Amino acid sequence: MTVCGAGGEREVSLLHSALKVAQARGGNEAHSFLEYTVKRQCDFEFLDMLEDRVGEVDAILSLGCGIGVQVIAERFPDIPVLPGVNTSFMGASKEWGVWDERCAACGECRLDETGGICPITRCVKGILNGPCAGSKSGKCEVSSDMDCAWVLIYERLERLGQLEKMRRYYPPRNFRTIPRPRRIVSKADIDLGGNDG
Amino acid sequence: MMNSKEAELCSSERKTMYSAGSDAFKSDHSDGVKKTSFDHTLMPPCQDACPLHMEIREYVDLIAQGRVMEALQVIRDGNPFPSICAHVCTAPCETACRRGQVDNPVAIRALKRFAVEFGGDRMIQLEAETRHEERTAIVGSGPAGLSAAYYLRRLGYPVTIFEAYSEPGGMLRVGIPKYRLPGEILDTEVQRLIQMGVEIRTNTPVVSLDLLFDMGYKAVFVTVGAHQGLRLGIEGEDSPGVVDGATFLREVNLGFKPSIGERIAVVGGGNVAIDAARAALRLGAREVRILYRRSREEMPADPAEIEQAIEEGVEILFLATPTKIAGKDRQLGLTCIRMELGEPDASGRRRPIPIQDSEFNMGIDTLITAIGQAPQIPSDFRLRIGRGSTIQVDPITLTTNRVGVFAGGDAITGPATVVQALATGRGAASRIDDYLQHRYPLVSKDEKETLAGELLPKTIEMIRKLTRFEPLTVSPEARVKEFELVELVYDWESAINEARRCLRCGMGAEILFQDKCATCLTCLRVCPYHVPYLDDSGTIQIPADQCQACGICVAECPAKAIVLRKPQDRRQIDEELDHVLKSAAQAKSKPFIIGFSCQYGLYGTGALASLWRGAKAGIWIVPVLCVAKIEAEHILQAFEMGAEGVFIAGCGQEQCAREDTAFWALQRMEKAKKVLAQIGLEPQRLQAFNLYADGEDPATALDKFTERIGEFYLASAIKQEVKT
Repeated sequence: MTVCGAGGEREVSLLHSALKVAQARGGNEAHSFLEYTVKRQCDFEFLDMLEDRVGEVDAILSLGCGIGVQVIAERFPDIPVLPGVNTSFMGASKEWGVWDERCAACGECRLDETGGICPITRCVKGILNGPCAGSKSGKCEVSSDMDCAWVLIYERLERLGQLEKMRRYYPPRNFRTIPRPRRIVSKADIDLGGNDG
Repeated sequence: MMNSKEAELCSSERKTMYSAGSDAFKSDHSDGVKKTSFDHTLMPPCQDACPLHMEIREYVDLIAQGRVMEALQVIRDGNPFPSICAHVCTAPCETACRRGQVDNPVAIRALKRFAVEFGGDRMIQLEAETRHEERTAIVGSGPAGLSAAYYLRRLGYPVTIFEAYSEPGGMLRVGIPKYRLPGEILDTEVQRLIQMGVEIRTNTPVVSLDLLFDMGYKAVFVTVGAHQGLRLGIEGEDSPGVVDGATFLREVNLGFKPSIGERIAVVGGGNVAIDAARAALRLGAREVRILYRRSREEMPADPAEIEQAIEEGVEILFLATPTKIAGKDRQLGLTCIRMELGEPDASGRRRPIPIQDSEFNMGIDTLITAIGQAPQIPSDFRLRIGRGSTIQVDPITLTTNRVGVFAGGDAITGPATVVQALATGRGAASRIDDYLQHRYPLVSKDEKETLAGELLPKTIEMIRKLTRFEPLTVSPEARVKEFELVELVYDWESAINEARRCLRCGMGAEILFQDKCATCLTCLRVCPYHVPYLDDSGTIQIPADQCQACGICVAECPAKAIVLRKPQDRRQIDEELDHVLKSAAQAKSKPFIIGFSCQYGLYGTGALASLWRGAKAGIWIVPVLCVAKIEAEHILQAFEMGAEGVFIAGCGQEQCAREDTAFWALQRMEKAKKVLAQIGLEPQRLQAFNLYADGEDPATALDKFTERIGEFYLASAIKQEVKT
C-alpha cells in the first residue's frame, strides 16, 4: 500500500528499474516489463482496469499485500501471480521510514481493559497478566530498546485512574485454532417473502 | 481534475484590465514570455515589483549555476538597456525580495551588473528590420524615449528621436552623475539603437508638434522629462550663487565644471540632493552639507547612496530647512530653522513643523536646491496639462488630448525612476503600434498569478541565514577625487554565492491531483521547512508561499503525486541523464561512470568541469539542480544502461540555501545499494562525495573511485570470460 511505502507508484517504478538492471547485468533471457498502479488490488472493480494490459504477460508481480495478490490470482485465473511484498504486520508509522506493529487482528480485542495498549502485539510473550519477571526499568529483557508493554499499560491506567483493571485476573486466551477463513457479514439477511399477501 | 485546477487558476488570474486604479506601468507586459498551460509557477514578489516585470528569479538561478550568458539572455529579453539598469536601478525588486524577511534581500541589481559584464553584453549586436512605413517621432531621449525607440524599432517602425541637448540620454546623461553611470555605458546602448536604425537628432529642441506631423510622422511620443527645479519660495532665492540641483548636475555632466566655491549647502532629501552633494565634493568643495527637513527615516534617497555620501564626507543636517538667503555670490548667508515631526501627512510621512525661535545661520558659497522637479511642457505642444505641470494621459493607452500624440516618462508622472521610464517606453511602443495598426489596445494581462503572502515565522526559522555579499566599492578618499565609478562589479565567486541565496519563491512543489494523493503524510514528515499541512478536511496542502522548492517531498512521495511547479524542473534530471546515457553509448568507451553532480555554486561550474577533464576518460556528468532531487531510479537507470559505477557529488553546502540535502541524497543512495546487492552488484560501485563542506578533496576521492570501478570492471570481465 502506498501509505506504508511498500507499494504505490514509486515502489513499483523502483522495482521496475531494479528488474531492468538485473536483466541488463547478466539476466538469462530478454524480458519486457510493464508497470501499472491501481488504487487497490483487493477489489475486483479496480482489477478490471488491468484486463487489457495483462493479456500478453507471462506473470504478474504484485506489490499489494497478501490480499491483493490473492484477489489478482482469482481475477486472472490463467496468469501466474507473484508476491512482490512480504506482507508482515499491521502497524503505525513512528516517524518517516519507521513502522511499528500494533495489531495482530486476533479477533479478541481487549484494548478497553489495557488502556489502549495491545499486550498481544507489544509484549514479546503476548501475556495477558503482565508484567513478567523479565521487565527491567520499564524495558523488556529481550531488548533494552524495547518498552515493556505491561509497564506502559500500568502507567497509562494509573494516569487514567483505572488501576483496578490491573488488579483483575484475565483468564487465558482461547488458543484453539480459529476456524479460518473468517468472514464478516454486515448485511442483514432479509427475507422479502412474498407469500404473505 | 486538470480542468477544474486550470479553471481556478484562470479565474484568479483575471485581474483588472481597464480599472481606473491600475497604473500605466504595471499593465504593460506585452513583451513577457507566455505561460504554457503546464507551468504552474507563481510570479515571485521581485518580478511583480519590477516595473518591467523582469524574470529575476530565472536569471538569478542561472547565475547561481554559473550560466551567465544565458542569464544575460533572460535579462535582455525583459529589459531594453540592462547595462543601464545594472548601474542605476533603484531595485524595487530588492525591497520586495522575501529573503529580506529572513536576513537581507538578494543583491539583485549587483547580480544583474555581474551578468551584464561577465555575460558579454558589450559584444551584443542588435538589428531590426523595417516592416512598416509609418514614421514615428520621439521627443526627448531619456530612458522612456530610448526604450520606446528600441521597442518601436523592434516592431519594425522607422524611429526618429529629437533631443534638445547636445548629447542623447536625457536624465541618464544630464541628471545622473558619471560616478554612478559612466558615459560609455550610455554611449554603448545609444550606439546599439543607432545600429538598429534609430535616427537620433541632438541639439534639436522641438517647438511644435504640428511641425512633426507636417514632416510626415504619423505618431509622436512626448517624453521630455521633468527638468525644471522647484522653487523654495523663500527670500533671496534669486541671488547669484543659488542654483537648482537639476541645472547643476546638467552642467557638471555636460562637462562645464561650474565654479561653486568651497562651502556648499544642498537642500532636499532625494537622490538628486545626494547626487548634487557628491558631485560638489568631486568638484573640489571642502564642506558639503545637506539640509533635510525630515529625519533620516523619511529620507527618500536610496539608503546605500546616503551611506556612500556620508562616507565621502557629506554632512547631513536633518530636521532643518532654509528660511532666508542673504548676501551675494560667494558670500551667501543662509538662515535656517529647526523642525520637528508632527502627524503623518497625505504621503504617509510625518509632517515637519518649524520650531519657534530655533533659527541659525551659516555662511556658504553656493546653495543647491534639490526639493523636486517638474516637467516644463512648451505651450505650443497644445497638450492638456494636469497636476504638477505633468501631461495628462490615459494611464492605460498613454494617449493625450491630441490624436496621434502619446506621452510618458517623468513628463506624465513627475520625477520617477529609470526602470519606470523604461517600462512606460515599452508600453508606449505597444500602444503606438496598436494605434498605427488601427487595433483595439492589446493590453496584455499578467499571465501569472502573483505569489502573495509573507513567510511564516516557523518557515523563516528553518531557512538558512546566508550573509549578503555586497559588491566592493572604491575607497571614499579615492572616489571623491574624480567622477569614476564608485561600485565595482562582483567577482565570479561572490556573484554565484550571492545568487544562491535566492529562495526561488513561487516555483515550489504542488500536488498534481489530490486524487492521486494517498495522504500518507510522507511530505509532511520529510519537509525540512514544515510546509505541508493537513487542512480541516484531512487533505494535504502545500502552501506555495512557504515552499522553498527543495524537491525532497517530490522525490519521496510514494504515490508520485507531488511535482514541481515549473515544467523544466520536473524533467531536468531525466532529460540530462537520458542525454548523457545516449552520448556514453555513442562514445563506446568502457568502462564508464555516471556522476550526478550539483550544478549550483562553483562546484557545478569551475571545479566540476576541471574534475571532468582531469579524470580518465569515461566519466559522464549529469548536472542536477541539487542532489536532493536525485531518485534511486535515476541511479539504477545508469546501471541499467551500462554504467560500471555511479557517484553523487554535492556542492559542499557552504552557501547552499537548502536544508537536509545530503541526508536525502544518501537515503536514495542506500536504497539503490540495497537493490544492487540483490542483483549481485557491489554496493561500492556507488559513492557520494562533497556533500558536506568538510568532506574529502573531491579530486582525490574521484581518482580512488575511478580506480576501484576499474577493478570491478576487470573482475567482471574475467568472470564473463570464464563463463563462456
